[in-house]
This record gives sequence, structure tokens and C-alpha cells, in this order.
Amino acid sequence: MIINLHSLHYSSHMVTVKLRCQKGIPPSLRGRAWLYLSGGKVKREQNLGRFQELDSECGDPKWVDVIEKDLHRQFPFHEMFAARGGHGQQDLFRVLKAYTLYRPEEGYCQAQAPIAAVLLMHMPAEDAFWSLVQICEKYLPGYYSAGLEAIQLDGEILFSLLKRVSPVAHRHLKKHKIDPVLYMTEWFMCAFSRTLPWASVLRVWDMFFCEGVRVIFRVGLVLLKCMLGSQEKLKACHGQYETMERLRAIEPLYMQEGFLIKEILELPVSERDIEKEHLTQLRRWKETHGELHCKSPPRMHGARAIMAAEPPSRQDLQQKPTIIVEPAQIINRSEDERKKEEKKKSKANKKQSKKDSSLNTANQDQAPQHQALPSQSQALLKDTNLQASNQSLSSTEHDTYL
Amino acid sequence: MSETYDFLFKFLVIGNAGTGKSCLLHQFIEKKFKDDSNHTIGVEFGSKIINVVNKFVKLQIWDTAGQERFRSVTRSYYRGAAGALLVYDITSRETYNALTNWLTDARMLASQNIVIILCGNKKDLDADREVTFLEASRFAQENELMFLETSALTGENVEEAFVQCARKILNKIESGELDPERMGSGIQYGDAALRQLRSPRRAQAESVQECGC
Repeated sequence: MIINLHSLHYSSHMVTVKLRCQKGIPPSLRGRAWLYLSGGKVKREQNLGRFQELDSECGDPKWVDVIEKDLHRQFPFHEMFAARGGHGQQDLFRVLKAYTLYRPEEGYCQAQAPIAAVLLMHMPAEDAFWSLVQICEKYLPGYYSAGLEAIQLDGEILFSLLKRVSPVAHRHLKKHKIDPVLYMTEWFMCAFSRTLPWASVLRVWDMFFCEGVRVIFRVGLVLLKCMLGSQEKLKACHGQYETMERLRAIEPLYMQEGFLIKEILELPVSERDIEKEHLTQLRRWKETHGELHCKSPPRMHGARAIMAAEPPSRQDLQQKPTIIVEPAQIINRSEDERKKEEKKKSKANKKQSKKDSSLNTANQDQAPQHQALPSQSQALLKDTNLQASNQSLSSTEHDTYL
Repeated sequence: MSETYDFLFKFLVIGNAGTGKSCLLHQFIEKKFKDDSNHTIGVEFGSKIINVVNKFVKLQIWDTAGQERFRSVTRSYYRGAAGALLVYDITSRETYNALTNWLTDARMLASQNIVIILCGNKKDLDADREVTFLEASRFAQENELMFLETSALTGENVEEAFVQCARKILNKIESGELDPERMGSGIQYGDAALRQLRSPRRAQAESVQECGC
């Protein structure tokens, strides 16, 4: 299934994008898809040079110290973050420090580190920064702010939704006075990146970027239902501690990609349900705790809402290529020359792959090769004009389609 | 249910971020240093049965996130804790300076009677020491805390910290200063103790059985 990300704001295309995200974004496109879906790309284009600016400033020592302590504590088994002071850890520092400068009143929250780390596994530091900004401000506003009121509120929302999804689990948690923040803090703040097996993390994040926080709620509800959803399952947990232990050791079967995604998709919890419950819980919160200390911006439920709120110009969405083929070289060739070359090439490369030699396009020698396969490149470039775009073939192919 | 114990104590591990709270817990339970630990978001926990003055005591230990920001959330773990390890890092004055705040929180939210042991962790990094043993032990005295310097890396004094804290709680129970029956004391009778207290005859019978196996 192929879809043009530029037209995300047309609802029919959005449905297709949503389906694609539910089926899992192909690994090679994942990073870029996340960047586009989150609106990080638009943010980046509208704030050109801002990251570099923040990157060059030295941060508030108060935050820098805490961030530095956490650098070697993110996914230590991942190739990228294994080495102390290695590239992964350096980039992680840059992104997190930049955020404390971007939002000095927010500073750094330890739960942002795993989020930033997962992003960095898929995209360069600048893109990861803007995606992090979007997560903190659009998808999960207030989650990382002082007081963590937003997470406590969402805990209550989750608990209330559970009543409908699994009355047994709800009753059990209520009986043992297990505050939702006891089990859902890490789940929600890290968007399950430290809970689920890796394949499931990626699938959940694909959907999360497209559909927003409802995906996180659904995962939480599925796990609670699976672990505490019947009398049989509750036999072994007769107290608060035992229940917590059970929720800490979720059976791998329930977290397995295929099972989990299917359950998430089948769970009837919509954006409206969450918003409705949000209002109820907010009212209750104000009655018991008074006004919220941290006024967060409203939550956006996914890519479409973000796009609607901050409509991007076409230019904002245009891909900035990392590899550039000089258009002049292509246009200025005379037709004859091109044909000759085509013949030569097609003889020489008769059996040469249909694969696009993706990363070598910057190399001048390689340019004619693309021309030698006109039908193929034309198919790829259906609605992009090569002459005008000064983009490389490979990056166009990757970026225009998802 | 093969676990038999006389008492169950709820414990907390608190202190600033990066002082080694989770590593202390890991060392205590697994007898190993956790080299690749994540920082704690929310809470971690573990339990272990130890033998203190001929009583089997099960410790349920809640290890909390250290960053200030998480306090509003970690407070829900404090409720009904009988003992706590208050941890600072001997190589970081900042973590030592924060102790008063942690102490106030613990006494206010857990219980007035909570038994606290102060742990100056990272004892193995003596070369980088910023807090002397003497000043910390003075602080402990002034605030009625027990005090040990520990190393989650080598394991030095780690078990001792938990055991000493548990022993003090047991003493207080025996002297009547602490009443396990009181709600929110953080103490529960284990199966073994319950049998002795509530139905001495049956307990005898069962203890005979136990001896038999």
C-alpha cells in the first residue's frame, strides 16, 4: 500500500495512512514517517536553524547534570547506546539539553530520555528533537511537567475506562487500593518503550504517531485485562504487592506483537471516550486538589489533528534531500547523448538489478544509470518533477510515498 | 504457598536521582551489582525473606524514582511503610543536602514512627568523596537515624542496612512501641505468627508437622 504523505489532510488518505500504520510502517521508512506524522517535519521547517542555535548554547547546569547521569542508562543493550560517550549518547545529550533550552520552564524529566532514545534510533538529532517537542506538547502535553498532574489525571481516566473493559480487574484494583500511578506511570510516560518487546514497541509507536494517545490507553487496558481480567488470574494476587508484581511481570504472550496489536484494534475505546472521561476526571480533580498548577496545551489526538491545528505549507512538507543530483547534469544532456548512453548501459547492465542503487546517487557516474532505466524512474516519480525538484531519486522515492 | 515468615515489613528506598537506590535493592536481592540499570520511572520493587533475631521477616521493598518531579507520584508508595533506606551519594554533596527534604516527606507521608536508616552509598568511590563519614553520622544522630556507608558495587554493608533497619523495627514491636495491628503500620503478621497468636493449639500441631518435613 502506497500513500502520499503530502495529502495527509485529505480524510480518505488519512484512512489509508491509518491502516498502513496499523499494519506496521516498513522499517526503512519508519523514522521519516514518524517525523511527518508527528508534525515534527513542519516544526523543523518553520524553525530552521533553531536546533543548531540551541545545540550551540550550553545548558543550565542544573539540567545538564541530571541529563548526564542518565545518558548511559538508556537501552544499554542497544548498539547505539552501548558505548559511554559514543555517538548515541552524545546525540541523546544534545536532544535533551536542547529541549531544556527550548522550554526552560519545563526543563528535563527523566522519562523523556527513553522517548528521545527511541527517536534517535530512527532519525538524526535535529529530527528527533522536533519529534520530541511534538510528543511533549501535542501528543502527551503535561506528562513531563513538574507535578506530573497530567499523568495522574490520565491514570484516573485509564482506571475509569477499565471499568467498562474489564470489571473484574477494575474491582480488584479498587479493592486493594492500588493507585493507577503505581502501575501506569512508566507505561505511559515512556509510551511502553521500556515495557514491551521491541517489535511491539515499534508497532505501538507507529499507531501512536498516527492516532495519538488513545493507542497508549488501549495498550494499558489490554495488559490490565489480560493480567487481571478473571477470577482465575487473580487467585495468586491477594494483595497490593502481589498485584503489582503480577503487573510487573506481564506474560510474554500478551505482549507479543501479533496478539497485542489485534487486541488493541479490537478494543472499543475512542478519542471521544477519552475526552469525555477527561472532563469528568478534571472536574473531580479540581474538587479535590483545586486548580491545575500546570496549564498544558490541549491534547491532540494524532497526526490529523496536529495537521489541522497547524496547517503546513507545501514547502514545509517538502523533503530536504541528503543526497543531491545536480539537475543541470541531467537536463543539459542532449537527447542523442542520452540515447547512446542508454544503449551502452542497457547492454552492460542487461541483468543488472531492478533495485535502485539507493545511496550512491550523489556520485556523478551513477546519474546516467538512472536515466538508463527511464520506465522505472518514471514510475517512481509519477507526481514529482525531477528537473524542478533537485532531489535525488532515491530520497524522492522514500519520501513521497509511505 | 511455601513462604512462611513471622512478619512482613513494607520498606522504602528513597533519595535523590542517581544515588544508587535501585542498585542497592538489586544487590540486596540478587547479591549482584547491576551494571546496566535503567533509571527508575515510577517504582521498582522486590522482596526477600531475612532472618533477624530468630524471626523470619519478609521485606517488601519499594524503590522509588529519585527525580524531584516524580515526588507527587512516588508519594503514593509511601503510605504505610514501616522502614526506609534514605540514600545519598558520598561523592555528591547535592544529594546529601537534599536529605532533610526526603526525611520530612517520609515522616509526613509514611508514618511518624517509620524507622529510617541513612545510607551513604558509593563507598567504593572514596577518592571522589564529598561528604565525610563524620558529618553524615552527626546528621544521623541529630535526626534519630541509623547510619551506614554502603557500596552497591561491592555489596559492603548492603545486607546490613536492611537487616539493621528490620531489627530495630522488631525491637520496637517487642517493646510495644510499635503496634503491628494498627492500620498503616506497614507491618503484617506472616502466616507463622498468625497461627501462634490466634490459635496456639493449631499452631503447635502445624509446627510439629513442619518439623516432620
